Amino acid sequence: MVFDFFRGSSGPQGIDAVEAQIVQMVRDSRTVFETSMSAVFGGGKSTEANQEVSQTDQGINEAQQDVRRTLMMHASVQGDVDLPLVLTYMSVVKDAERIGDYAKNLYDLAKFGVDFEVAPDRAELEGYCENVDRLLGDAADAFEKSDSERAQHLIDKADGFLDDYDDHVQAAYESQGPASDAVARTLYYRFLKRITAHVMNLLTSLVMPVDRLDYYDEARDDRD
Amino acid sequence: MPTWVRAILVIGLLYLFLVGVKLLEGGIKGLGSDFTDALFDSVSNPLSGLFVGILATVLVQSSSVTTSTIVGLVAAGVIDVPAAVPMIMGANIGTTVTNTIVALGSVRRSDEFRLAFTAATMHDFFNVMAVAILLPLELLTGFLSEWAASIANFIAGGEGLTFDSPIKGAVKWGAGLFEDGYGTVIKNETAVAVIGIILGIALIFLTLMFITKNMKVLVATRIERSLNAVLAKSGLIGMIVGMIVTIAVQSSSITTSVLIPLVASGILLVRNAYPITLGANVGTTVTALLAAMAAGTIAGLTIALTHTLFNLVAIAVLYPWKRIRYIPVDLASKLADLAVRRTWAAIAYVVAFFVVLPIVGIVVLS
Repeated sequence: MVFDFFRGSSGPQGIDAVEAQIVQMVRDSRTVFETSMSAVFGGGKSTEANQEVSQTDQGINEAQQDVRRTLMMHASVQGDVDLPLVLTYMSVVKDAERIGDYAKNLYDLAKFGVDFEVAPDRAELEGYCENVDRLLGDAADAFEKSDSERAQHLIDKADGFLDDYDDHVQAAYESQGPASDAVARTLYYRFLKRITAHVMNLLTSLVMPVDRLDYYDEARDDRD
Repeated sequence: MPTWVRAILVIGLLYLFLVGVKLLEGGIKGLGSDFTDALFDSVSNPLSGLFVGILATVLVQSSSVTTSTIVGLVAAGVIDVPAAVPMIMGANIGTTVTNTIVALGSVRRSDEFRLAFTAATMHDFFNVMAVAILLPLELLTGFLSEWAASIANFIAGGEGLTFDSPIKGAVKWGAGLFEDGYGTVIKNETAVAVIGIILGIALIFLTLMFITKNMKVLVATRIERSLNAVLAKSGLIGMIVGMIVTIAVQSSSITTSVLIPLVASGILLVRNAYPITLGANVGTTVTALLAAMAAGTIAGLTIALTHTLFNLVAIAVLYPWKRIRYIPVDLASKLADLAVRRTWAAIAYVVAFFVVLPIVGIVVLS
């Protein structure tokens, strides 16, 4: 440890380490999301799955703190050299952490007893879930490669989902079915919307200046 | 700038720094005994020397510049080692002003300011306590300078006045080029000597500034990695990391100033920053040791080693016992509490302690 100073770098350092950690946070969130989905769509609920979700989410929270420490250290040592990046990552790491939180919230739905396995609209429910799952994977890849073109494409694509989720929440509110179904669908679409919005926030760091970050979790009218 | 170009630049700057020390030494010798006697008289009082050390370091914001200059003065025979010891100790105190000024930047957020000001002033309190204990002992017994002299003689391989080192030879050649350059244009010996002094001090100041700046860029990633590794650690590991980082950037102010925002934000605990600060105290003495290698006199090497021994002995006296160890931290914490309640007290402390007190001390004692 004392002689770390003299050793060559093993793995990414500084800002590179932060980028790698944020990517890993998104990938871990995807793991939580997939576990949650298998619980919501048919019996993937178990003590082990519950433990795995909790532990992974805890790991994501710790990674967020670690990223903030690393950024603070980087800013203290390097001064203003990477100031825009430090500010950007300080903001988007919160989005990466929230993705994990909402993915865990979806598992909580299964814990409450929500099970869409035999739901008449299962295909539609599952379709959105697959979209978000793909979005998480693609967003992690785009962020890892700092691919701004792909990021913009993903933002445009995901933006279209946001209205769909609101429409489904509205439909659940107006439905005449049991309240438990309406609540389950409202929360389900709400969580998917939050995950999508935070993924979009994360991706904006590749295509927008610091002052324009962090608006995709707000209504479209409030963004500009 | 590519890394290898920056590395070569640093080596070049380091060479020019050593040439600066040699030019200073040569210039002072050229002024003759009347000038050197007058200069010696002005710092013959130990307290006066201490205040000169503080004020000079506050003015140039670098103890390395002050101590390297003192090494040059001692090597030239202007000041003897016993008279230079208080000046070196003063430089140790004066260098802490930089991180205290950095801490003032957090003044608008009281919790952060309390931590930042504690982290900055614990360095002040440690150094003042070290001087309060070791300066009287040194004046009574000369134990630090005698110990340093015996090491210097051991390194030099005898008890002569000078010693040879490859650095000395190389630096002499570079300094000779400068001296021949302005010596051919200006014939007056006093003017040549004054130019040597001005050029020497300018070179010491500027080269150290650029060495620090470039070394910080070169090793920034390593500094991040090292400090990250000791964030949750205390004690010896922190001390060694503080020392290594300071040797690398040739500035204790850089090391201690980097710690201030980390402490203010709560990432680094004050008590974990404390040993890093003490390590920085030791690390910063390497610059004067390099200067002594260029000067090539036993006296110059002795005063440089005295600086190192002073900081090592201070740690040995004040750090091992828990009851004593955190007195500087606790005093700093109390001062920070006052500074949070009354912001003017923080500014008054900096101005009074680092500027007014040394000036008044020098004026009164002279």
